[in-house]
Amino acid sequence: MRCEICTIVDNYRVATDTYKMVIESKSIVFEASAGQFVHIRVGGEYDPLLRRPISICEFDKEKGYLTLLYRVCGKGTKLFVNTRPGDSLDIMGPLGKGFPVFNTELTRPKSSMDSANTQRGLNLPLSEVSFNDKKVAVIGGGIGIAPLLELCKNLNKPDIYLGFRDETYMVDEFSEHAGTFYLYTEDGKEGCKGYPIEALAKNINNYEVVYACGPKIMLSKTKNLCEANSVECYLSMEEKMGCGIGACLVCACKSAQDDLYKKVCVDGPVFNSKEVKFND
Amino acid sequence: MIDMSVDIGGLKLKNPVLVSSGTFGFGREYSDFYDLNLLGGIAVKGITMKPRKGNKPPRIAETAAGILNSVGLENPGINNFIEQELPFFKNYDVPVIANISGNTIEEYSIMAKELGNSVDAIELNVSCPNVKEGGIAFGTKSELVYKVTKAVKKCCKTPLIVKLSPNVTDITEMALAAEKAGADCISLINTIVGMKIDIENKRPYFDNIVAGLSGPAVMPIALRMVWQTAQKVKIPIIGMGGISTWRDAIEFIMAGADAISIGTANFYNPYAPIDVLRGIESYMREKGINKIEKIKINKGAKNYE
Repeated sequence: MRCEICTIVDNYRVATDTYKMVIESKSIVFEASAGQFVHIRVGGEYDPLLRRPISICEFDKEKGYLTLLYRVCGKGTKLFVNTRPGDSLDIMGPLGKGFPVFNTELTRPKSSMDSANTQRGLNLPLSEVSFNDKKVAVIGGGIGIAPLLELCKNLNKPDIYLGFRDETYMVDEFSEHAGTFYLYTEDGKEGCKGYPIEALAKNINNYEVVYACGPKIMLSKTKNLCEANSVECYLSMEEKMGCGIGACLVCACKSAQDDLYKKVCVDGPVFNSKEVKFND
Repeated sequence: MIDMSVDIGGLKLKNPVLVSSGTFGFGREYSDFYDLNLLGGIAVKGITMKPRKGNKPPRIAETAAGILNSVGLENPGINNFIEQELPFFKNYDVPVIANISGNTIEEYSIMAKELGNSVDAIELNVSCPNVKEGGIAFGTKSELVYKVTKAVKKCCKTPLIVKLSPNVTDITEMALAAEKAGADCISLINTIVGMKIDIENKRPYFDNIVAGLSGPAVMPIALRMVWQTAQKVKIPIIGMGGISTWRDAIEFIMAGADAISIGTANFYNPYAPIDVLRGIESYMREKGINKIEKIKINKGAKNYE
């Protein structure tokens, strides 16, 4: 069973067209890992017709709470805004492959041999990949910061690079988990003027792993930067989605290894940067 | 005692609820949600001789009560299908229908022959609007429907279903051609050719320009075509096109369908086929109907011409 009728606990605005929704779940939350998403049915019977894929921003397994951060951009998300605490939502999930999370407290190398490159081969499921004593950076842009919060909570004080167009949000929540925190806005109203990729580019040699989620241009630049500097890189991708479970084949993204497509919903949404490519 | 079973041209189903090719992957995607054995049958994702990578994204757009898709028959090819996907069904007791598309009549025949021993029925896809070659090219001219059906029937050991395109002037002509050529059953409709414009960039939204429309929006058209076809052919009909609820399914059966298939609804409600199945069952119980075919409108009782 992967569909659940969940109850909305809270739903409030955090910035222009940006909202945070807290949902109480009896099963989905307990299976969730950082970087996964849920697929939500909202509205009347046929309008909108499809579910809406939304990243899981945070979860609290003790309370059974899932937090979603969403930007209002169409028919479905407009309806999300109108939901109130106590309302119920038909939610499918958790779906997709999340971030390979390393926690220095929990994961220790069994022997020095274990850190061999084979352990991080692309053939391994992401959940089995571990990064021992690695220096980590997390970079997010706009609403793309959503799946990164739960990730940051599970990392050991990563350096965090966030970028926004003008208005910032969730800054305190992120900076609390950061080693060094970098904030950028396009107009320089808050933090530095420009894009977080600029700072990451300067510091790239400090890192062994970079996690990213945000606009395609940011992901593409992060991929190029990391690969040019031999830094392991994980990207959370977005594509228009249908079923969310790998049956309809519409959420296709280009595979870097062959000329075929990967399914964002089940092969991702988190990919090793070497698995995907951006230019057609 | 309610008997839900139906026989569609030699393919025996325990109930009339199928799932449509292209909306159900290769089955395993939905096996987490319910026991696939509950289904009347599964039409798996359309396959071709060689692997196809599919169309360039975007591949989907939501419309009013529907979706446009431009997947372009992405599939691993017949050999990979047989080796990697088919064994999954060994654990199940549910009829598997292989949906095949060819570039030539020979390709259709070779595929039908190769699959004959390992699937329960073949569905001839002569109606995919999203690929340049093959597919719909065979389904919009009755001579070609006849030729390809005839050729495949000769080498096909399983019941042969021909899936018809709605993108024709008169679908009954295609249905009659398939029947005359020896098809055991016909299924209709495939998606309706549609389009979307990206107004920000002032260009067609899909790389392939046109795309296939499906979902509740197309149901009245599909229903009309099933009705018209049922007046003309004697072979069984699998009705599909926007079925989302048991009420929709009953309409299709009343219109003349012997079985029905759930497509796009799988995308937003993975339990749709089961909901429909239970709904048909309770409808029959309530109305005191014991056989699926007794749901059909008795066309002899009134002149509907």
